[in-house]
This record gives sequence, structure tokens and C-alpha cells, in this order.
Amino acid sequence: MTDQTDPNPPTVIEVRDLVTHYGTRQILNGVDVDIVEGEIMVIMGGSGSGKSTFLRHLMALQRPTSGTIKILGQDVWRLPQKKLFELRKKLGVTFQGGALFSSMTVGENIMLPLYEHTKLDRMTMEIMARMKLEVVDLAGFEDLMPSELSGGMIKRAAVARAVIMDPRILFFDEPSAGLDPVVSSQLDDLILRLRDAMGMTICVVTHELESAFKIADRITVLDRGNILFVGTVQELHDHPSERIQNLLNRRSEEAEIDADEYLRRLTGDKEEAEGMPR
Amino acid sequence: MEINISQQGALQVVAISGEVDLSTSPKVREALLSCIKGAHGVVVDLSAVSYIDSSGVASLVEAFQTAKTKGLGFALAEVSETPMRVLKLARLDQVFVIYPRVDEAVAAMA
Amino acid sequence: MAEGSNQSVAYRFFDKIGRMSTSALEEMGRHGVMIAESLYWLIIGPRMNQPVRLGAVFSEMMEIGVRAIGIIGIMAAAIGAMLAIQGIYSLKIFGAEGHVVVGVAFSMVREFAPLITGILVAGRSGSALSARLGTMKINQELDALEVMGINPVRFLVVPSLLASLIMVPVLTFMSMVLGLYAAALYVNAALGMSLAAFFDQTVDVLSVDDLTHGLGKAAIFGILIALIGVLNGFLVKGGAEGVGKATTRSVVQCISAIVVTDMLFALVATF
Repeated sequence: MTDQTDPNPPTVIEVRDLVTHYGTRQILNGVDVDIVEGEIMVIMGGSGSGKSTFLRHLMALQRPTSGTIKILGQDVWRLPQKKLFELRKKLGVTFQGGALFSSMTVGENIMLPLYEHTKLDRMTMEIMARMKLEVVDLAGFEDLMPSELSGGMIKRAAVARAVIMDPRILFFDEPSAGLDPVVSSQLDDLILRLRDAMGMTICVVTHELESAFKIADRITVLDRGNILFVGTVQELHDHPSERIQNLLNRRSEEAEIDADEYLRRLTGDKEEAEGMPR
Repeated sequence: MEINISQQGALQVVAISGEVDLSTSPKVREALLSCIKGAHGVVVDLSAVSYIDSSGVASLVEAFQTAKTKGLGFALAEVSETPMRVLKLARLDQVFVIYPRVDEAVAAMA
Repeated sequence: MAEGSNQSVAYRFFDKIGRMSTSALEEMGRHGVMIAESLYWLIIGPRMNQPVRLGAVFSEMMEIGVRAIGIIGIMAAAIGAMLAIQGIYSLKIFGAEGHVVVGVAFSMVREFAPLITGILVAGRSGSALSARLGTMKINQELDALEVMGINPVRFLVVPSLLASLIMVPVLTFMSMVLGLYAAALYVNAALGMSLAAFFDQTVDVLSVDDLTHGLGKAAIFGILIALIGVLNGFLVKGGAEGVGKATTRSVVQCISAIVVTDMLFALVATF
């Protein structure tokens, strides 16, 4: 573990010129991002900005059309399978809906990575799982099934599972989605605590401004597949661009209307409407 | 990771150094549990631990509980900053008996 | 496609046929890939610290096999009795009721036991596999496995495939025995033939070939059921409705595949 006061912390995730198309639709048009050790990087953008796809690339779940992603110095798409498995032990992910395995208890869910990847004693695994449940404030819930938990609890259990191997990098996909503001803010506190105590690098994808401002060290704003802004919260507030100020003030932009194109769209002439998948 | 065990009176001092992680924590667990069997009390010197993960902390927890049920003393000493943060995350700093220095621990427990 | 309305009916017909055949071919390709991938993880997995867990195989065997014993037993017994009833009824025309054993033994062991077992397992487990994997997919549980460094094929598919490959023949053997036993009971009641005489005759007419024919088919059905169930689950799109569709599709495909394979097998084996 490197000290957090290191003036030049190393880059742990390096994304270069990332391009993705779905058919003729461009999702990402050449995205460059650096995430340094120990920071909380929030990736923001509205729906359709490409942020979810971007996260899937970072987690090495989906191959981009072109570009490179280096995590902890390793190019994830050029890594032999065995090395990728090794790398994945150093990453933790909390999915939007929690993605707990519904056939296992909460405790089994949390212990699964340990079971699969380590030769630890059963007792050690159980203590570790209970410790993580303490951290996420779910003490005593290990024998319940995920279906017996509320949305916020499921998410916290998912965090416990994500951190069970003490990963170096933690990803969150829309942590506040489907949660009420109070629960959502508790989750934000948890994210901060994890970074402070474990020195984890955390990458959060969200569209919630409030949550982003609370936790972010730096923010990346994605818009229609392009990076609109990278910087601290303060820099974002002070940014002169009208586009960004609109975004901050939640004003939807009035896009200019091309009358012909708009009419065709409304009348459903799909062949002519640009970029529609067949 | 290295473990050094020394006898100080009736107590055993287990000095751990280096990184305690998923691959090395089973050794820590084994060493601690076997010490508990043969001593009146155990002091774990964590001054030279540069990193400890939750499997390491779990081993400490298990050893502490085992010692307690046997009525033996179990204390941590010279917990450096990084391990302390990990302990604090799960509020274990309020559970373990922690001394700032090894000789203080030995004096207090003798 | 702007001139779509001008295209002849024949063009559209053949266009549709073409599309359907390419997607059918694509699907067969996917099955091939899935088998190859499963073999890969079965053999290479342990070397990459991704072993196939025996416990998972056993629990799948429990689910696919043991829990199906009751219903399959009843169905097999019903079919055995039915064969005996129909056999005696039609052989009566020639006054040859005594030969009913030959007909029952051959059709039960070579045809009906594997078929009824296959169809029931398809209905119980093929659909369940699709529903389970489909739900896991839409809940991102498959992604979660992947990011934990656990290969989903190794973790979920191989155990089901192995369990099905083992349990369908085992259940089929059980069906054979129960079906023949039910037939023997009926023959005993109708013709007064003793159970011992029935089984003596059965053993006489049946060869090892007949048994391997039945069990071999059952093994193939086992693979087909697991593969079709798994693939339909993996390909689920679009939420709960997608899971429902995949489940239906998987049952229909499983039963069709079983019947067609059965026919082809019979054709090749009796040639």
C-alpha cells in the first residue's frame, strides 16, 4: 500500500483512445482517462452518454471497438486468461442491482470469492465475511437470503462481497439508483470510509450530482461518447462552459431541430432516420 | 512476511513483520493458535507490519477469541498506522486490547 | 428496402427461409462452441485455478435426477402397462398374445424409456436451467461471476452438463426396469404368465446392443437438454419477459431435438 500523501500517486487505470460502436451508433468516440491510486473518480453523464458502456470496458466485461485499457499496468484486452483471472482478484465491483446470487445466503455470497480463490481456513473466511458485514452495517444478516433484504441492504451486502478480497480498485455502478436519499447518502459515506481505511482506488459511475459532489476527488463528465470535462468538483463548478453549467443546473439542452429529419423521425420512416439500428 | 516468537516471562511475544495477506495469513493464524496453547498470554507485536488485510485481521480475531475462552491474556502492541486503519474500519480498535509498546503490554499482563 | 412493397411474395418467402436457416445454423454453431468451452474448462480449468466443483455437480444431479425419480417412475410404469395392453390387444388378432413380451421389451428398452425420460427431464430441468441462467443474466449475476474471476461456464454450465449426462441415462435405466415391471404385472393379470417367465423371456430377447442403444440415446438427450437449456438462458434479453420466452423456447427446442434425434438414431441403428 502506498501512502496516500504521496504527491504523485501512480496511475492505476489508464484509458487511451477508447472507441466503441454498436453497429453504426457511436457510443464512445476516443475517450482518455487516468485514474490515480487512492482517489475517488466519479464518471458522470446522462443516459446515453456512454458511461455504462465505459464501465463495462473498465471491468473487462465488454471488448471495445478500439483503444487500450491498462489496469495496474496491465493491458486488460491483451492479457492471457490466467493473468486476467489474477487481475480480477484485485478488482471489486458493486453492480447497480447488487447482483447477489439469489440461490445463496448473504454470507455465502460474500464468501464465494474466498472459496473460489483462496485456501483459507473456513473459520477465517467466516470471520472475514462477518467483519465486512460489520463494515457495511449488516451485522447478523449472514444467514438471510438476498430476497429477504431491502434494496439498500442488498447494495450494502454487495459492497461487502466486492471488498471481501481487499481489492485495490473498487467499481460502483450507479450506487444511488433505486435508493432513497438517506440510504443513498449512507452508501456515499461507506464509499468514503472504504477509501480512507483501505486506501482503495474507487471509480463510481453515477448520474446523481449530489452524490458525485459529496464523494468525488475528481469528476469525469461524459457526453454522447466524448469527455466534456475532467477535474475536481471545484473546477467543475467554476467551469465557464455553458454546456457544463446547464448540466449542473439540470437544464436540459434545447437541441437545434432539423425540420426534415424531425418529421421523418415522427412518421417512422426508419430507413432515413440516421443511426437507427435495423 | 516473518514471524518471530520469543518468551518473556510467562508470556509469549509474537512479532510479525512484513505484509500479511491472503497467502501469508494462514501462517500467522497457525502461529498464534499454537502459541495460545502453550502460554499464559500472548502479545502480538505489529510494529513491523507494513500491510495487513482482512484475512490477517480475521486471524487475530480468531486467536483473541480462542485466548479469551481459555482465560488467557491476548494483546496487540505497537499497531502501526496502516493496520490501525484496517482495525478501525470494522471498529475492532475498541475490541482488541492494544498497548502502544511491547514492554508496556508485557508489564501490564504479567 | 424502400421498394419493399414491390418485392414479390416469393422473394420475401425465400428471404425468410434464408434468414431462418442462417439463424438455425448460427444456433447449432453456438451449441458446438458451448460444448467445446465446457470441455475446455473441464480439462484446463484445474490448471488455471478454475476447477469444476464436484459439490456443484452433485447438487445438480440431485436437482435433475433424484427429484425427478417419482414422476419419471410413474410415467414409465404407465407406458409399460400401456404397451402391454396394446400389445395383447393387437396380437390377439393373430392368436399370438404370448409374444407380447418381445414387443414390450424392445419398445420399452429401445424407445420409450429414453424418450419419456428425456421429455420429462426436458420439461423439468431444461426449462429450469434456462430460467435460472436467464434470471442470473438480467440481474447481472453472470457479470458478477465474471468480474470475481469465476468463469460462468466452468461454474454453472459444466456441472449441469455433467449432471444431465449422467442422470438421464440413469433415470432411463430406471424407466426401463419400472416400465417392464408394470408390463409384467399386467401380462400376469391378463394372461396368467408369471413374472419370472416374463423376465426370463425379456432377458432372452434383449441383447446388450438394445440396452446400449437405449442408454446411448439417453446420454445424447442429456447433453441436448443441458445445452439447449443453458444457451437459451445465456441468450436472454429484455427482462422478465425475456426469461419467460427463453423458458418456453427451451422446452420446445429440447423436446423437438429429442424426438428428431431419436428418429435419426433409430434410423441409423436399425439400418
